[in-house]
Amino acid sequence: MKRMFVRILVVLLIGLSALLYAEKAKITIWAWDPNFNIPIMQEAAARYKKINPDVEFEIVNMAKADVEQKLNTILASGVKTGLPEIVLIEDYNAQKYLQSYPGAFADLTKHFTWSEFAPYKVKLMTLNNKVYGVPFDSGVAGFFYRIDYIEQAGFKPSDLENITWDRFIEIGKVVKQKTGKFMIAADPYDGGLMRILLQSAGTWYFDKSGKPYIANNPVLKEAVRLYKEIKDSGIAKEVSGWNEWVGAFNRGEVAAVVTGVWIIGSIKAEKSQSGKWRVAPVPRMNIKESVNASNLGGSSWYVLQNSKYRDTAIDFLKKIYARDSDFYQKILIERGAVGTWLPAQGGSAYKAKDPFFGNQQVFQLFSEWMKKIPPVDFGVYTYEADAAIMSVMPDVYSGKLSIDEALKKAEQQFLNSIK
Amino acid sequence: MSEKKKTRGLEHIWSKWGWVFISLMLLGIILFVFYPIAYSLYLSTFSTRGFLKTFVGFGNYIKLVQDTYFVLSLKNILTILVIQVPIMLFLALIFATLLNDPKIKFKGIYRTALFLPAVTSLVAYTVIFRVMFSNDGLVNHVLMFVGIIKEPIRWLLDPFWAKVTLIVALTWRWTGYNMMFYLAGLQNIPIEVYEAAEIDGASKTVQFFKITVPLLKPIILFTTITSTIGTLQLFDEPMNLAAGVVTGSSVGPGNSLLTPSVYIYNVCFKYSPNFGYASAISYVIVLIAAVLAFIQFKVVGERE
Repeated sequence: MKRMFVRILVVLLIGLSALLYAEKAKITIWAWDPNFNIPIMQEAAARYKKINPDVEFEIVNMAKADVEQKLNTILASGVKTGLPEIVLIEDYNAQKYLQSYPGAFADLTKHFTWSEFAPYKVKLMTLNNKVYGVPFDSGVAGFFYRIDYIEQAGFKPSDLENITWDRFIEIGKVVKQKTGKFMIAADPYDGGLMRILLQSAGTWYFDKSGKPYIANNPVLKEAVRLYKEIKDSGIAKEVSGWNEWVGAFNRGEVAAVVTGVWIIGSIKAEKSQSGKWRVAPVPRMNIKESVNASNLGGSSWYVLQNSKYRDTAIDFLKKIYARDSDFYQKILIERGAVGTWLPAQGGSAYKAKDPFFGNQQVFQLFSEWMKKIPPVDFGVYTYEADAAIMSVMPDVYSGKLSIDEALKKAEQQFLNSIK
Repeated sequence: MSEKKKTRGLEHIWSKWGWVFISLMLLGIILFVFYPIAYSLYLSTFSTRGFLKTFVGFGNYIKLVQDTYFVLSLKNILTILVIQVPIMLFLALIFATLLNDPKIKFKGIYRTALFLPAVTSLVAYTVIFRVMFSNDGLVNHVLMFVGIIKEPIRWLLDPFWAKVTLIVALTWRWTGYNMMFYLAGLQNIPIEVYEAAEIDGASKTVQFFKITVPLLKPIILFTTITSTIGTLQLFDEPMNLAAGVVTGSSVGPGNSLLTPSVYIYNVCFKYSPNFGYASAISYVIVLIAAVLAFIQFKVVGERE
């Protein structure tokens, strides 16, 4: 009798502990930027927990370079463990990862309605007609300017709408002369502006078949000319690196910033400048194809094929990033994140007037420009090409090499480096 | 007879246990040192892109010769090597000699002050240098205030000045470190030698070049070789002085701060991941370090 009792007790205990141990699905996510991607993902996780309470999340914050380094080493080593369920990848690098690690990322083609996302975004995560990522934030570019400086120089906001870069430089000279402020802050060796310029004309460092398109690329040639022109005209305060760059406009030393929409958080960080800023479409190049819309950066979520809770992870991305319009309103207001899931753009937050920008409907404008961004194929070698061009820039600035010669040299360097 | 046998038996056992005790360590060395060395040599014969591997034999090494970035990175560190290492070692030697003088007061404070940079974090000090040498940073302000320059120097925006900044930073960080070796070496030179020289009427300068330098030869050789290897592996400083650009395109203005180590990093993680090629670069760097060390041994070393 006693023995019977003990047996029952043991069985009960085992059953109970099994119940307690019943595994909760745990989704691990790697991302960077504790002011942007991380809180956005935390918000998404909190929302998903209401739909599916049996899921736990571990959102790991790392520097962007660390995410890339870890992903590369673990994937290349061929082990199946140690990777997260979801990882954030910068759009410029998407094809590089997809092509270098075939089979590592989950094929999401059947899971989402792709026409609901911005087409340029879907295109850059598509390989052999399969889509591998969930489009996230847009890098739609804008021309942010200080209305007080611009008016002081004698211009009206309408003078800055849909202009060319040459006009931009002319205005910059007047601004410099009348207000003593620089038009922009620029790192002469940063490829960001180059990429804005190229994409505005639907061109990239590579042609449609993926071949290098540097030496005889008229758009690139014009872009390099503008780089030199901006430097020679003296409208740019030269800075080196991110902190100096942000510092320049936070301290009110420059009249304008031309970059991706994600900079809004940094501009707004200086609260004393509230009401002084406006935004206009990016200038276009003096080239037929160029439009007043472009892109810089942006990133998307990818699911690892061999992760343990892959299906839950996909379900999570589906239910939040492709269904929850309210979520997109919230991250837009709180973080300035312009999502690329199009149905969300009908939401109220997109229409909100922002007192920081003189009650302009900033995000309405950005989502309109977003639709005009010419899609380009970033290919696998964007950073190699960037480095090749930036390493000849000193000779372009000093006049030692003509632009044609410099681009020829850059292409040669680039070809050597990818051989 | 029997005793001898006993000891031999004991020795046998001792050596056996010896092997047992160090086996774990040996295993560790084989696993974490020898295996990676061998594997990276094997890997350097492949061109890889992530999972994808193609055998290229010596292809990577041939590619290296034509790779303008690699050649540029070598040029960059050779410039730094030729200029920075002698300046730093000479300064270290002077400081060490001065601080070895028994008559000097507050020696401890000076020694600590000069050595302190060597214990600061590489990243932290580079970031501070980056701030100090920015266009409207402290250095330009001071130089303009004193009236040495009229316009700010474009320290980190000009290929030439970027290298100067790097050299200044390296010298600040590593001089005290090398000074410590010299100080230790100087303790071994008997004071009588200097006293005798003094009586013979040798000036301080003569003493420095005729006594200190020759007697410190082995230590100078040691510091030269370690500094050479350190320069060849230069990573943290250029990375932090140059990186952090809005979207990161080149390492320093026009890649003027590109070093082989940073290039290896870029090839692995920033560019299309090519671990095979990165291994080849590493091997060439090892080879160059070995050759340079060999030359330095020949030039400075005693013929014994």
